[in-house]
Amino acid sequence: MKIHYITGIAALFVVAVHILMRLIMPYSLSLEYENVIANYHNIPYVVLLESILVLIAIHGFNGLRVILLELRQSKAWEDGVIILTIAAMMAVIAYGTRTIIVASGLGFE
Amino acid sequence: MEVADRNNREGIIGWLNPGRYGWERVSYWLQRLTGVGLLAYFVGHIYETSSLTQGPDAWAAMLELTQTPMGHLILLLVIGMSTYHSANGIRLIFTHGGKGLGKPGRPDYPYDAVSLNYRQKSGIWIALILAAAAMLYGASVLLGGE
Repeated sequence: MKIHYITGIAALFVVAVHILMRLIMPYSLSLEYENVIANYHNIPYVVLLESILVLIAIHGFNGLRVILLELRQSKAWEDGVIILTIAAMMAVIAYGTRTIIVASGLGFE
Repeated sequence: MEVADRNNREGIIGWLNPGRYGWERVSYWLQRLTGVGLLAYFVGHIYETSSLTQGPDAWAAMLELTQTPMGHLILLLVIGMSTYHSANGIRLIFTHGGKGLGKPGRPDYPYDAVSLNYRQKSGIWIALILAAAAMLYGASVLLGGE
């Protein structure tokens, strides 16, 4: 549960900054393509987005793992839940990281 | 005793009756439901923001899908869920650490748990009120117009 609590508390701060970024200008203006891409060209913000991705993925899928493990207990079920939640976590992190790398122009296109 | 004489068979209605459980049970269910709901939103959000990589037209198409009254309503729910989940989660971290539980007491009739006290109940209420306030502010931004 320590991982769950630490990722939860850390996510609180970084998500708050992420939400506040939508409020530094009129909301609908903040969602225009040029403004969003400008966010992705800001390296500290890119680091923030990546940290949100990792923290929320771990917190969310670990929470799902806890719920599913409390539902049923057997070797097959527990192994399946652990493998699937870790795989889903890694897939979401990989897909989100791809978006961050491509949008920020840091990667190869 | 015949089955027909028993008066304790409430069925599904009894299971769904929230009046027989305390606020702590409501809080438990809300924490789990908001958690799963936020996870579903998170996965959808990662997918929708990936349209950025396909250029301005794909991004505009995605915005047409999400910047709608239904999209704003979903976002309002997400705001409420995340505020409640965060505030109640902080309460649970303190509870897990033993803070706010009080001293253990002898179990006397009607066997009310000492740990289920006004501190816990007020923590749950604070989480609910913060969620409502956040949803109101979100509504003013999303639906109020600029």
